[in-house]
Amino acid sequence: MKNRIFYNRVGFSTLLNKEIHRFMKVPVQTVLAPLISNILYMAIFGGMLQTREVGIEGISYLNFLVPGLATMGAIFAAFQNPSFSIISQKFQNTIQDLNSYPISLAEKILAFVFGGMFRGVLVGILTYAATIFFVGYEVEHPIFFVLALTATSFVFASLGLIAGLALDNFEKMNFALAIVITPLTYLGGVFFEISKLPGLLSAIKYVNPIYPLVNVSRYAYIGVCEGNIVIHVLLTMVLVISSFLIAAYIFKKGVGIKTV
Amino acid sequence: MLNISDVSMTYQKGKKEALKDVNLNIEEGEFTALLGQNGAGKSTLINILAGNVKKTKGTVKIGGYDIDKKELETKKIIGIVPQDTGYDFVFTVDEALKKQSGYFGIRDNKEYIDEILDALYLTEKRSARIRDLSGGMRRRFLIAKALVHKPKILILDEPTAGVDIEMRHTLYDFLVKLHEAGTTIILTTHYIEEAEKLCKRIVIIDGGKIIADEPKEELMEAFSRESIIEVHFEEELNLADFDFLSDYHPHIEDKTRLQLKASKKDLSKVFRQLSEKNMEFTNLVVERPKLEDIYLNIIKH
Repeated sequence: MKNRIFYNRVGFSTLLNKEIHRFMKVPVQTVLAPLISNILYMAIFGGMLQTREVGIEGISYLNFLVPGLATMGAIFAAFQNPSFSIISQKFQNTIQDLNSYPISLAEKILAFVFGGMFRGVLVGILTYAATIFFVGYEVEHPIFFVLALTATSFVFASLGLIAGLALDNFEKMNFALAIVITPLTYLGGVFFEISKLPGLLSAIKYVNPIYPLVNVSRYAYIGVCEGNIVIHVLLTMVLVISSFLIAAYIFKKGVGIKTV
Repeated sequence: MLNISDVSMTYQKGKKEALKDVNLNIEEGEFTALLGQNGAGKSTLINILAGNVKKTKGTVKIGGYDIDKKELETKKIIGIVPQDTGYDFVFTVDEALKKQSGYFGIRDNKEYIDEILDALYLTEKRSARIRDLSGGMRRRFLIAKALVHKPKILILDEPTAGVDIEMRHTLYDFLVKLHEAGTTIILTTHYIEEAEKLCKRIVIIDGGKIIADEPKEELMEAFSRESIIEVHFEEELNLADFDFLSDYHPHIEDKTRLQLKASKKDLSKVFRQLSEKNMEFTNLVVERPKLEDIYLNIIKH
C-alpha cells in the first residue's frame, strides 16, 4: 500500500475477482447465450447472404462475418458487465460500499473495466472458436486479432461503467442498449460494408465508434477491411484513451455513488 | 481520534443546510451516542465520514489524517455499519466477509472472521446466502462486515432498528466488549435507553447543529438538579389545596398522585411544607430524570 495510483493491490484484485466471479457464476446467461446468438447469426445470415455482394469483394461472406460477430459479442459482453454490476449495486443498496474501501480511484476503475474487458474478450474468442466449424481456424494476424478484441472490450467496458454510473435503473440501461448500442452495432459494419448503404446512413460511419473497431478486427482476421487500417488503428487508440478518461472523470466526480 | 471542525453541508445549490458549522472531537476509546430526530443531520455527518457525502466546508480528520488529503488512510481506520441493510444477492456470509477483508488489503483473514462470526452468533449461518438471513441476522452481518479490518473507530447508524429485544441485548454485550478492547464507538440510535446504557458521552444534534455535547454523567447531573417528586395519597386530590407549593409546579396524576418539580436543595423544604400542613401521604418517590427526559427537554428548547 504505497503510492496513490496503485495503493492496495489485494483490494484491486479482490474487486476485479468479484467482477469476474459475478458473470462466471451465471455462465449460461452471460457467456453461452450471446455465443448461441452469434452462431445463429452465422448459420442464418451466413447461409442466406453468402451469394450476395454485401461483404468485401473477393472475400467469402462467412469470412467477412466472423470478425464482425466476434466484435459484436465482445461489445455487448464488455458493456453489460460493469453497467449491470453498478446498477445491481444501486438496486441492492450496496453501491456506497465502494466509497468505504481503501482502494484508489484508478484501481476501482480498472477493476470494473478489466472485469468487463475479460468478459468481452472471452465472448469474442469463443465466438471465433465456434465459427471454426463454418470457416476453419485460420486468422491472418492472430495476435492483432486478440489485441483488437481487447481494445474493443476495453472501450465498451469503459462506456458500460459510464452508463452504470450515470443511469439509475435496469430499465434505462436496457433502453440505452436497445436505442444506442444495438443500432450503432448494426450500422458499424458487423454484417455488411457500410459504404454500400445509401447517403446519410453511410455517413454515420464517421461518428460511429464501432466502425473503426469492427474494421480493425476484420483486418486482423482476413487481412483486408473497409477504409484505411492505419486510421482505424489510430481511432481505436483514441477511443481507448478517451473512453477511459471520461469514465475516470465521472467516477472521480462521484456521479451515481456520492451525494454532492 | 476523530476531529470535525466547522463542517457544513448544503444542498439544492446552497438553499438547504444539512449541517451548520459542526465541531466535534472524539478521543480514542470513547463510547459516544449521537442523538437527534429524523433529519437532524446525524446520517449526513456519518455519510461525510464514510465518504458518501461531500461536505461543503470544514475539515475532518480521522486518526490524524485529513479525509480530503489522505482519504485512503482514513478508510482503514473506520468501520461503518450503515442504517440501510443493503446486501449482495449473490454471495454467502462467508464469501462476503472474505471479499470485504480483501477490499481492505487482507488476504487471509479466516481466523478473525471465525472470531467475529462466533461473537455475533452467525457461525451456523456462514454458508447461507445473505438474502436468506432474517432482518436481525442481516444487522449482525453488517456489523461483522464493518469489523473485518479491525477498525479503530466503529460507527453504528441505528444498528438495532428492527432487532428483537433479546438480540438487542446480545448486541449491547458485544459492543461493550468491543469498547473494552479499545475500539472507539459512535452510536446513533432512536432508543435513548440504549444510549443511556452503553455510552459515556452524549452528543445531540438538531437542525444540523450540535446543541449538546457532554459526558453522560455530567449531562444527567446537570438536569438532575430538578427532580420529579411524586407524592401518593389515599383520597382524591384537589389542586387548589396545594397552592402553598406553587413554586414547584404542582400537577395531579390519576387523581391521587401529586407531582412536583424541585431542585435537590429544595427537597427538604417541600417535605417540611407538606408535614406542616399535616398531609398524610402513603408513598413518596423522587425520580431522577432519565436521559430520554433530558433529551426531550433539550430538543424542545
